[in-house]
Amino acid sequence: MSLTSPTAHAWSYRGGDWYAVFGDNVSVLLPPVQKDTVVSIWALVDGGADFNEILDVLLASGLSRLPGFALVSGGPGPTRLLLRGAEVTATVVADGETVELDGVAGGTWVERSFADPEALSIRLSTAEAADPPASGEDYPILTGLVRAGRIDRPALSSVAAPLDEAPVVAAPVDEAPVVAAPVDEVDAGPVTEMMDAVEEQPVGAPAADPLSDPLPDPLSDPLPDLDAEHSAADDAETPEDWVTPWGLPPGPPPPAPPSPPAPPMPAVPDIPSVPPATDDGDALGDDTQPPGEQPPPPLADQADADESSPADDVPPPPLGIGAWESIGEPANDHDGQTNAEAALTPDAARSGQPVAKLLVSDGQNVLVDRVVLIGRAPEARRFTSSEQPQLITVPSRQHEISSTHVEVRPGTGADHGTAVVTDMGSTNGTVLVQPGLGPEDLKPGIAVQLIPGAIIDLGDGITIQVSRP
Amino acid sequence: MTRVELHHGGASDVGLVREANEDAYLAAPPVFVVADGMGGHDAGDVASRFVVEEFAALAESGITGSDADKAAERVAATFARVQERIAAYEAEQQDAGAVGFNAGTTAVVAVLVEQDDHARWLLANIGDSRIYRYTDTHLEQVSVDHSVVQEMIDAGSITVAEAATHPSRHVITRALGAAASGEADYFLLPLPAAERLLLCSDGISGMIDDQQIADILADTEDPRDAADRLVAAAVRAGGRDNATAVVIDVVGLAHDMPYDSDAERLSLEEKLGALP
Repeated sequence: MSLTSPTAHAWSYRGGDWYAVFGDNVSVLLPPVQKDTVVSIWALVDGGADFNEILDVLLASGLSRLPGFALVSGGPGPTRLLLRGAEVTATVVADGETVELDGVAGGTWVERSFADPEALSIRLSTAEAADPPASGEDYPILTGLVRAGRIDRPALSSVAAPLDEAPVVAAPVDEAPVVAAPVDEVDAGPVTEMMDAVEEQPVGAPAADPLSDPLPDPLSDPLPDLDAEHSAADDAETPEDWVTPWGLPPGPPPPAPPSPPAPPMPAVPDIPSVPPATDDGDALGDDTQPPGEQPPPPLADQADADESSPADDVPPPPLGIGAWESIGEPANDHDGQTNAEAALTPDAARSGQPVAKLLVSDGQNVLVDRVVLIGRAPEARRFTSSEQPQLITVPSRQHEISSTHVEVRPGTGADHGTAVVTDMGSTNGTVLVQPGLGPEDLKPGIAVQLIPGAIIDLGDGITIQVSRP
Repeated sequence: MTRVELHHGGASDVGLVREANEDAYLAAPPVFVVADGMGGHDAGDVASRFVVEEFAALAESGITGSDADKAAERVAATFARVQERIAAYEAEQQDAGAVGFNAGTTAVVAVLVEQDDHARWLLANIGDSRIYRYTDTHLEQVSVDHSVVQEMIDAGSITVAEAATHPSRHVITRALGAAASGEADYFLLPLPAAERLLLCSDGISGMIDDQQIADILADTEDPRDAADRLVAAAVRAGGRDNATAVVIDVVGLAHDMPYDSDAERLSLEEKLGALP
């Protein structure tokens, strides 16, 4: 495989302290502070996630958390390039012209698309980048997770090593920054090693390690790590006003503790192809398939156990559904709702099947199988005998929460099979954060469909996390 | 929440015009009912009595624990039994040769529903008897009349003031009875939002206005006296209809959660234009 399209696909990287995640459909560069995120990003990228999906995930916790990053689309079609931050610069040669891009120029970010760039180079200036990037050696790579200070496509050939000759060994030894904490944990060798190269080897002793070792590790992490990203960020940084106070009360336990590692772990390249069929539609609509059977989460516990990743310091919030749901999903359905609706039978909601679970930050746990009214002293008016709402009282020391603040109910029509939230004319309003989207103020009386992973902020430190039932 | 106590009082008067009192009320904690019967002969009397009898049975069992989620269904089932009994009674009367017999009754119901550490008022209304809440010197009508004039008010064709004198003001659109139909409206209120509840027939609300009702509720501490004074005021104001009032006070509420600012008193319907 490494020989099939070396120029179109192959990257080379140079040592640095940024994280570079190379995948078939997208490559991502993240700054050192994104250590918690990067392993889960790798899992997504390796699972076949595309440019937009990764962008969604990166933005899920808010743009302000991401001082800098870079995304490059792979695969067929034009090459999209997105740069953010002063540390990120790129040089692109396309149609005979050389274009210089600077991540700080666009304000938010710089995004460009090139039909068929001849050469692409992204440089990440970092603390110790005082020595010019040119000084490092370039290592070729197809897919994988490395530390890098510069990446080039097509690969620069300062190291003539063939693809399957592990640059892994060289990198850590020569340049300290290349191997950093998380890479240690994940066993630097296998991760840095190129997956594509590995998979070509005959199944034998050498291949056994990379196949069994590196894979579970990065894949296992998305759940705890994305969570950790939330937790750590929320605890450590100045919270934005909609931030979920995960740390406040003892949250309820995870809804469905991941089952032990799934033995039928498919071979490396198959991973993306397994989940799509079952992932979303069934999980949402069909109770017979517990979430624990889905490939990504089961591995989470195992990974947690033997890693001293930052996730261990912070109790994981109840769930991270929004985080892992896009693994292996069809690229055109990153919100997961389309499949879910298609898979639901019309009877599912009518028969009172819960369409979502609400985890209130004061510890309450509510199944949405009918109208749920939430507030400081909620009232329900003019309902019929068969539709008695559930009233959920939440504390509000500052009286920022209205007596009947929001309603969450099973959706109808186009929202069938999902939960919808409506601000009930609250005094101070309601902020909704859907996975991959920025905060949104709810308009009174206007119902908004909820995606698993969404967070509803009522004010006064009370947030409601939406998950699958 | 510490266990609350309910203090209550009820009163009823035939008024100055009617010959019979077709109203009935029940004050059997945790269940309170006012029913305004109607129909020829003594039929209304019978219909409202059925309401009281059936809800007395509900009061015996109460609605607690896991039943709380189904409280409205329990009340609806009780209404259904009333409906059956009225229909059976009517069939009986027709068999006996009575013609044009058409019994029916309104009903307003308040049930204290306890679940875990929560207690709430489950309120139900069918017809034009009313449920008011009086909290922090503020009177609010909770129930929404099932009446022709209420529909006209909702449609914007008349004002509330015009409704008070409208010729069709006694025509109701829902009731319990063989010829009547329509489901009740249900409401759930947290106890602090309804420290004093008033259930009354239109012999009260049709004779004295909300301000007078509020004044009496404000000035009268004992709920028994309050019910008496409301009925007396209605009779004094003309007594054109049977007048019945039940006043319930929630006693022993800790005021750790003072009720809303004025801004929040706007009902959701006013704010949203309609219930979502």
